[in-house]
Amino acid sequence: MKKNYFFYLLRYGLTALFFCFLSSTYAQQSVFTGKVVDENNSALSGSTLQIKGTSRTTVTDTKGEFQFNINQTAITVIVSYVGYDRTERIMTEGKKLIIQLRPDAQALSEVVVVGYGTTKKSDLTGAVSSISSKDFNQGVVTSPLQQIAGRAAGVVITQTGSEPGSSPNIKIRGITSIQGNNNPLVVIDGVQGDVGLLNQIPPTEIESIEVLKDASATAIYGSRGASGVLIVTMKKSKSGSTIEYTANSSVDVVTRQLKMLTAAEWSQQAAARSIPASSNFGANTDWFGLLTRNGTTQNHTLTIGGGTDNFSYRASLGAILQNGIVIHSDNQRYLGRIEATQKALDNKLTITMTLNSNITQNAGSPGSVGRAAFTSNLISNAYISRPTDPIYKADGTYFTDPNLFQPLNVLAAANTIINDAETNRLLGSLRANYKIIGGLSAEVFGSWQKTSRTSGNYTPAVSTVAAAIDQKGYASVNDDYNDYKLMDAQLNYTKNFGNHHIDAAAVYEWQAQMDYGSGSAARGFVNDLATYNNLGLGDFSKVQAGDYSSYRNQRRTVSVLGRFNYSFMDRYLLTVNFRRDGATVFGENHKWGNFPSTSVAWKIDQEPFMKGQKFFSTLKLRAGYGITGNQQPLGVLQSLQIVQGSGTVYFGGNVQTNFRTTQNANADLEWERKKSTNIGLDFAVLNGRLSGSFDVYKNVTDKLLYGYTVPQPPYPTGSIQANVGSIQGRGIEMALSYDLISNESTKLRLGGNVTLMDSKVLNLSGSLNGVPLITNFIPYGQNAYLVVGQTIGAIYILQHQGVAANGTETIVDQNGDGKIDAGATSPDRVFAGQTQPKYTFAFTPSFRYKNFDASVLVRGSGGNKLYNRLRSNLSYLENLGKSNLLASAIDDNMYTSVFPLATDYWLEDGKFIRLENVNFGYRIPTSKSKHISAVRFSLTGQNLALITKYSGIDPEQTGGDNGIYPRVRNFAIGLNITLK
Amino acid sequence: MKKLIISMLSLAVFAQSCTKVNESVYDKYTADQFFADPKGPDIALASVYARMPQFGGGDNGYYDTNNMCTDEQVVPHRLSGDWGPENAYLYTRAWTPTLGQINTTWNACYNSIYLANLAVTQLEKSGAPAAKISEVRILRAWFYYLLIDDFGDVPFYTDNNITTAELKTQTRTQIYNWIVSEITANADRLPETKGGVFYGRFNKWAAYTFLAKMYLNAGVYTGAPKWAECLAACTKVAAGGYTLHPGTANASSPLGNKYFELFGDLCPDDETILAIWLKRNVIGNNVLALRSVNGPNGIAMFGYSGWNGTIVPEETYNKYAANDIRIKQFLIGAQPGGVTYTPQVTSLINPGAGNTAGVRNVKFYPVAPNDGSGSSNDFPIYRYADILLMMAECNVRLGNAAAAKPFIDQVRVRAGLSPLSANPTLENIYDERGFELNWEGHRRQDMIRFGTFTLAHGLVPAVDAHWQLFPIPTAAMNANPNLKQNPGY
Repeated sequence: MKKNYFFYLLRYGLTALFFCFLSSTYAQQSVFTGKVVDENNSALSGSTLQIKGTSRTTVTDTKGEFQFNINQTAITVIVSYVGYDRTERIMTEGKKLIIQLRPDAQALSEVVVVGYGTTKKSDLTGAVSSISSKDFNQGVVTSPLQQIAGRAAGVVITQTGSEPGSSPNIKIRGITSIQGNNNPLVVIDGVQGDVGLLNQIPPTEIESIEVLKDASATAIYGSRGASGVLIVTMKKSKSGSTIEYTANSSVDVVTRQLKMLTAAEWSQQAAARSIPASSNFGANTDWFGLLTRNGTTQNHTLTIGGGTDNFSYRASLGAILQNGIVIHSDNQRYLGRIEATQKALDNKLTITMTLNSNITQNAGSPGSVGRAAFTSNLISNAYISRPTDPIYKADGTYFTDPNLFQPLNVLAAANTIINDAETNRLLGSLRANYKIIGGLSAEVFGSWQKTSRTSGNYTPAVSTVAAAIDQKGYASVNDDYNDYKLMDAQLNYTKNFGNHHIDAAAVYEWQAQMDYGSGSAARGFVNDLATYNNLGLGDFSKVQAGDYSSYRNQRRTVSVLGRFNYSFMDRYLLTVNFRRDGATVFGENHKWGNFPSTSVAWKIDQEPFMKGQKFFSTLKLRAGYGITGNQQPLGVLQSLQIVQGSGTVYFGGNVQTNFRTTQNANADLEWERKKSTNIGLDFAVLNGRLSGSFDVYKNVTDKLLYGYTVPQPPYPTGSIQANVGSIQGRGIEMALSYDLISNESTKLRLGGNVTLMDSKVLNLSGSLNGVPLITNFIPYGQNAYLVVGQTIGAIYILQHQGVAANGTETIVDQNGDGKIDAGATSPDRVFAGQTQPKYTFAFTPSFRYKNFDASVLVRGSGGNKLYNRLRSNLSYLENLGKSNLLASAIDDNMYTSVFPLATDYWLEDGKFIRLENVNFGYRIPTSKSKHISAVRFSLTGQNLALITKYSGIDPEQTGGDNGIYPRVRNFAIGLNITLK
Repeated sequence: MKKLIISMLSLAVFAQSCTKVNESVYDKYTADQFFADPKGPDIALASVYARMPQFGGGDNGYYDTNNMCTDEQVVPHRLSGDWGPENAYLYTRAWTPTLGQINTTWNACYNSIYLANLAVTQLEKSGAPAAKISEVRILRAWFYYLLIDDFGDVPFYTDNNITTAELKTQTRTQIYNWIVSEITANADRLPETKGGVFYGRFNKWAAYTFLAKMYLNAGVYTGAPKWAECLAACTKVAAGGYTLHPGTANASSPLGNKYFELFGDLCPDDETILAIWLKRNVIGNNVLALRSVNGPNGIAMFGYSGWNGTIVPEETYNKYAANDIRIKQFLIGAQPGGVTYTPQVTSLINPGAGNTAGVRNVKFYPVAPNDGSGSSNDFPIYRYADILLMMAECNVRLGNAAAAKPFIDQVRVRAGLSPLSANPTLENIYDERGFELNWEGHRRQDMIRFGTFTLAHGLVPAVDAHWQLFPIPTAAMNANPNLKQNPGY
């Protein structure tokens, strides 16, 4: 019930805000109106105006206009806007004043946040994509990543399925590490973490996201920056006050479905194929329909903020509420955040504190249920359920066919399995910056993240899950905790000497990540009333080894790092980074690594010889090289030989705890190293109307960390963590933006980006205890391998030939030896493409006309193949007796495979184009309102169309399609109100 | 500027003093610390025995590999769609190096050998009693025996500190010789204790039974039969005082006869020489009866739905005499749960067998704790009836059929049959082994030794000799390119 109160609060809060709006009255006061424009006379919306000597402030609207109603005849206004000089003007009543702002000479143009500091965008030497909130994708956003999907070249953000609470996956510049998720480091106002950290902040409170792509930019983050870095800057309060409310609400519907046999078709096929009549129960059940519904998603954020010259704060409260399209799958996330900044000691000392708290409540959809031969999610199980099976037996209990092995009633599973989780996160940080003297400043930063997660599962016997029937219901409760601490001490020095400018930083950093928790389980319940809430109600005689457990482990990283920036005449820029990291997870003598990088840039447009020309307004050439280290793929304790409890053993007439050596020691484990080179060009022509950047990069990752397959014998288990071989990734990225129409009332901008990439496995030999391991054809996805000289995830697969008279699939015997060899290096396998896309692209036009705005995101990728394992499972006619099959299975007419061999018959082209986002917005004129400074309504459609040849539910998967939670299409309305 | 340099230097010094990055181990033991503890060696020995349930009556592992390839059992694909065709491939001799059961068998043997090597090292290092070292060495030799029996020439190592490059494959004969020498060097050091703390462990009698098995199959392994040596080893075991468990009717025994207690919760010490202790949800699992019966029949008899899997080929069932107490292990005709099993199966794969076709087997009649995934019946590896039949076989092979007769007759009489009317032939012994040891994991070895393995039987035609060895699993070949595939695969 608690969550509902919150929901109603938000809903009625919205209504209350409407009343505020409608009841605004116009006082008998003097009216001052004006407009703020930039150096090109374009309106500057969002600039802040304050009446001098008062706390009255306002913000310009989309036309750059503002209005004050005050009981005075003349006022002085102070105008401020980021990147522009602060200006004071005197205004007189009734006379519209146009205020032109000049670009800030000191902090020219945009400031970009880079590692451990900021820099002017024009001074960047590395490959950095900067996306500010005004360019974010709109609509119902459940993860900040959805806001930047398609907005930066070389950054691929994919959403596999729309399960409530699930986050998109992000990869920057492809695969640089073959183990681990290749997820970037996320830094939110200095707090470092993995992608999950993004779930701790309200998406609408983000000011900008910078994507650091090459080593010269990420090297400063050393050990954790190998897969790129996302730097998230939260909105800060300015002086004056802010009250803002944003809401989006959508209806989510099912998009693509698989075409299965109908009940009549199934019956006809069963009769024709000697399936016993006892297998046909004569019902007509739409299992997919029973399991799905229209979902809803809502996102609300209320923000307040304000401040004076010395003090500012900003606080927000948000809720993201999702009801999934599969029944009983829901997620609610509540987010609170407060940030306060205080200056003291003549503005020399600045202290900033933040506190984030959030609560996530998830009711998950079972992800792995079903018969032993086919375990998958509920949706895949709905597909295989025979349409002729009734839902219920005559006695009202859930139906299953007693003649089948471990039958599942998928509706029973959906309705009765409970999968709850609640995650509480608390994140605090403190930053103290002191300007010592001249350009020297010192800073101390600390952050502490505490996460606790409690999950409860209950699977009753009535769920029809075989193990639950065996155990008469089973329940488990798990408590997991994370405790992540980070501390930085930093010195910065900035100085101009004539034409020389230097900017240097030295940092010491310490991080410790502790994970711990416990879990317990019970089975054998006399009824299902208490579910997992009291494990003590279970049957004591059914206690098993492993029913109670706990764990604790820790990893620590210690780093020293320095950065030196030098520029000469503001034309020639040099950045040098050096970082030395030590991490606990590596082998005895390999804990430390050194990671240097350097980059240069040449602002050609600043050269005297460019002075005469009008064509280029910006022209800058960048080049960088750097080495970053990676420890993320490696779990703790992998370098040691470990003994663990492993069930029980009967020995000496007793049952006792068994201990087992679970892994081989590898004292050689060391840092994975990525060397990356980047050359880039930034330009703007036609008075800045056409701008863009090109980047060419090459990454080589050496000493790849991988769970290497080793033979049994002599090894006790089939894989061992080792540093093996190297891979290369190359790419070309292009981002362009063109203002087709740009005037005061209308702006039409065409934007987009294209990335071309390839990869290659350079070598695959590693060592274990000093002895070289040499191998090739390391499995990497379904029927895909790492093969020296080939792309990452090269598909080598047996080739479909036809179907033999007995219904068995036949395979082309490539070498004609009369046998089909299934080995990884089999001569009967043929190269059939790659699992990774060769190109991705996005087209992002936007349009504004007066108060109306619109934006579109079209996104796609291709060049990859996807193994459709779900289709093969739903096609073999051998399964017809117990399963429903795809309608296409009848034409395939394949009784069985050459078990367990997969062929290219199920391999499909993975390319697609998706109409990801279409957004229309309308800003209601509010200049006459006393209390409201901005109101915007919007309509958004997401995932509106998908063009692909892929026959499955969604091609946006890699490795293989084993059945996914469906991807929804949604239609959202949005509202944003800012009060004065 | 000077200040800056000083500050940076002091920062660096501070950093140096705070740079400990040694790993903290909280919730596990490092192997060095663990085995240095006085309890370490015993735990190392126990950890090898912890692998034994893999060789009992579990699903999809060693048992299936070695039993489903014989004329004793097959899992047909069902018209209902259950049981993929691959489940019949062991019986139809259509297995490939990718078959999961074969890979599981290979890995089960080698991870046991790794642990046995480790235990030998730990026991020797700690100065453990000779009997314990001998016990684990015999256990290790036994895993190698399972390997050469199934795969022929295999990689051989006795010290874990070895690299893949140094690991060499040895011939079946080389490993045979090593196994025999390991047993003969260590068997007499083992205690003679039966049952109790030695239940499920190699005592002296189990070691000699193992030696007898090596000699019994020496002709297959090396080309040089060792019948006299086998007989001598069996005679040693017989001196241990084993008797046949009674075959008397008893209402409270499974299937109404005390004979079936041999396959119950705790294999009786009078006849059992070595067994695997199993307890559902605690250690291991016995699926054999549950996997055979169908759903409603399983619910009616054991309280849990049967799997409708394994059946006994009709011609195997038909060989049993009606008055043989051992025929009680089969279910045919009308059964509890409203099920009627019919003996005939006409199709194994496409379209498959009818849902109630095939004779079922409940020799391992489920004992509690049991559920829908299996039961707690222990699994006998060696028992005295096997010794008697080996002695009979050796005598016949040595041309002394008259001496063989009392041994085979003991087994027949216990089963409620009359003694043979004439001196036994090899065929009598082969059949009697089939009746007595059905579903106990001896049939593949017997069929190969008697030359019947590759012949046509039931629904399958004759095949060539290469099927007498299993292929090296694909996964093992992928991981170690030095391995050579067995001929014919």
